[in-house]
Amino acid sequence: MNARKIRYIKFLMLLINILAVAFPTVCIYITTNRICDFYIAREFIGKVATIPSRPHMILCLTILLLGCLLISFLFREYLFGESNLLKYGSLAFDFILCMTVMVIQHFNYNGILFWVFANIIYYVRDKVKILFMLLAMGIYVGTNYEVLSIQSSLFRFSDYVDYYGTTTQQYLLGIYNILVSLNSIVFILFCIYVIQEQQGVIEQVNSLYAKLTKTNTELQLANEELKQYAVMKEKMGETKERNRLAREIHDTLGHTLTGISAGIDACLTTIEMNPMATKKQLEVISKVTREGIGEVRRSVNQLRPDALERLSLDSALQTMIEDMQSVTKADIQLEYNLGSFRFREDEETTIYRIVQESITNSLRHGKADKIQITIGKRESYIDIEIQDNGIGCQEIKEGFGIRHMQERIQMLHGKVSFKGNKGFLVKAIIPVRWGEEYDESLNCR
Amino acid sequence: MRFRDLKKSRLSWRPIGYIGIMIFSCVMGYLVYLSQKPIVLEFGMFVGSNWDVANANSYVIIDKVIEQFEKEHPGVTVHYTSGIRKSDYSEWFAQKVLKGEMPDVAMILSDDFDQLVSLGVLQNLDELSKKDRSFEPSKFYQSALKIGSYEGGQYALPYEIVPMLMFVNKSLLNDEGFMVPEENWTWDDLYEICSKITKDTDNDGRIDQFGTYNYGWSEAVYANGEKLFNEDGSEVYFTDKKVIDSIKFLKKLTELNKGVKVTQNDFDAGNVAFMPLSFAEYRTYKAYPYKIKKYSTFKWDCITMPSGESGDNLSEVSALLMGISSHSKHKKLAWELLKMFTYNEAFQMDIFRYSQGASALKAVTNSKEAEQILSEDTDDRERVIDTRLLHNVIENGVITPKFPQYRQIMALAGGEVDKILSDEKDVESTLKITQRTVESLIQK
Repeated sequence: MNARKIRYIKFLMLLINILAVAFPTVCIYITTNRICDFYIAREFIGKVATIPSRPHMILCLTILLLGCLLISFLFREYLFGESNLLKYGSLAFDFILCMTVMVIQHFNYNGILFWVFANIIYYVRDKVKILFMLLAMGIYVGTNYEVLSIQSSLFRFSDYVDYYGTTTQQYLLGIYNILVSLNSIVFILFCIYVIQEQQGVIEQVNSLYAKLTKTNTELQLANEELKQYAVMKEKMGETKERNRLAREIHDTLGHTLTGISAGIDACLTTIEMNPMATKKQLEVISKVTREGIGEVRRSVNQLRPDALERLSLDSALQTMIEDMQSVTKADIQLEYNLGSFRFREDEETTIYRIVQESITNSLRHGKADKIQITIGKRESYIDIEIQDNGIGCQEIKEGFGIRHMQERIQMLHGKVSFKGNKGFLVKAIIPVRWGEEYDESLNCR
Repeated sequence: MRFRDLKKSRLSWRPIGYIGIMIFSCVMGYLVYLSQKPIVLEFGMFVGSNWDVANANSYVIIDKVIEQFEKEHPGVTVHYTSGIRKSDYSEWFAQKVLKGEMPDVAMILSDDFDQLVSLGVLQNLDELSKKDRSFEPSKFYQSALKIGSYEGGQYALPYEIVPMLMFVNKSLLNDEGFMVPEENWTWDDLYEICSKITKDTDNDGRIDQFGTYNYGWSEAVYANGEKLFNEDGSEVYFTDKKVIDSIKFLKKLTELNKGVKVTQNDFDAGNVAFMPLSFAEYRTYKAYPYKIKKYSTFKWDCITMPSGESGDNLSEVSALLMGISSHSKHKKLAWELLKMFTYNEAFQMDIFRYSQGASALKAVTNSKEAEQILSEDTDDRERVIDTRLLHNVIENGVITPKFPQYRQIMALAGGEVDKILSDEKDVESTLKITQRTVESLIQK
């Protein structure tokens, strides 16, 4: 709505300028002809200081230039759309047109510069605008008729008005002055509207910003809830796992132990009367116990990584890394400096889980695309280092994963530390158990 | 969305392209038209003499020059509007100037000259003449060249030049027992002759034979080696001693008439011995057919002006100027045409043949041929103004200053001087007051 109003004001302003330029030109042309018709040309040129070189030419040229100015305006408003090049090009073209008009009119009217100012104010919205405005003001002052006529001889519209009688003079100058004043008034009006419109834009931006802040807060709240939900879910998983373990123990160990206990009870009663039957019974119990052991092993095996079951630690790690890489495209390097060092199962699982958890954290939280894993032995400790190039974190919050790692390491009497200032670094040490190093040599035997 | 934008911008380019092509083809067409169009130089002139004497041969030199010019410049034609009288020329020219249709080359009336220069419609010729190696300004009489200069710039060249001379009624002088004065005669000689011949011949109590007619204060001042103004009128010399002396002499001379006003009738009847006369009038009324029309009842001749106490036998020189329009599209050609009018010795010689003035070129006016042409006009028995005398008078001639109010101020000051001469006012104090009035008028 406001843009439309501004367009109308611009059109009005252009119209006033066209009239203010055309009016004196037409007046001069008509007066020249009248002077010649009444044979007072000699007297007239005796009275004036300068005359326009070719009044008809000035008239034609002025009309042409004003036409161009109008076309330039219409093109800019309706045809050029959002193209900045065309828009600024047409503004420059307008400026050249206005300067040309002023020059051929000998600077009798420089109010047409307001038209250029108005467009600069409207279209140029950078810091350059101030520069442009200063330049324009300089040109406006510099093109003042009275200032310029000191140095160079310029023809004067009022000389031609003086030719007429007092009443006509008053009318002509009156019309001209009204046009000049109207131009200033419309320019001021235009400025007010533009300022209003720009203020409207600022308000819009402010309200959008407020909306954004509100949404952001909501999002944070939701995030918090989600975190709590995750913790809850973890706890639920833990409970579920415990239940499963309990069930497993109940189903396998409980079942077996019950059977064993019942069988042993039966043996106790029959051992003296029928040792043979008892022996048979004990064989059955032995079988059940073995089966029970098998069952237990199977249950425990369900908690142990499948890869470790089949492969050595470094191969298992390699496989896991390859799997990860194939899924995430992250560059994960493993430096395994332990040769064919043999671990116990629980150690292997711990190392495996720590590496797995660290990679998962790096990828999920750290957004890393490069992870370096180093596993080596120093004196009587195993060193495990997982370094990523992710965003890291200044304050390390103890989540489920980290707590788990700590628990697992503590169970092996080791230590784990985390650093988040340059990517994320997980550093763990596990003491080597006595005898482990010789496993290899025992195997050789 | 993106596609629509693209389409939109393509749509807006197309009409711009079409308009561009249209404008380009228009401009090209116009250029081709311009290159095919023959060049027409406009020449502005009036018919008749610049010095208000009869002249039946106005177009002869002009037509000859144009013919020669068109021959030398194929594809160029020179056009002029014929039949404009001198009295209408100023207005005609002003209208042309006002409408921006000033002729490329034109005669410039001396009264209009400074106005036209200050309006900026006359081309400053300095640049054109500097570029032209064949042009030598020193070939002109410096006084003549100065007439066409304004504030140090040359804006017009003299086409024809006319000095003021002193008409002498030879019959009257002979009757009174005087010879025609020598060319270096003085105010004393003038006063002596005038005092002797101013008398009442028919004894009716009223003086009817006079010494001078129309011998004014400016003639006296110029002959006394002074001017009334500097060139642009910024200084007024009315209270200069030489000017005061001139007026005093004039007053002495006028007092001989004892209050009787001399008229043109007295002069035409042969009752006046001396009158300032332009060289143009001299040539017109000395030659056939106009010699039978005026001053035919007595023998007469022309000599130089009498010199004042501190001056020389000098007088005013005036010229018919020609200039170029500052808006001319063919300035080089206009310059060539202007040069053919003013600088070509053959055509300048025609001034002596077909016109009444003299040439502003020294080599022409000071030539044997010119002297011969002048002698052809006059009777064998009469003394001819020799070209040497003419040369001196022109070379050292005084030119009138150029400022807009000159005519008006001279009329005003002339009125004051008349009052001094008719004994109504004192010489020194009146001139002082007049000087002050004139200065304030010029400053306006």
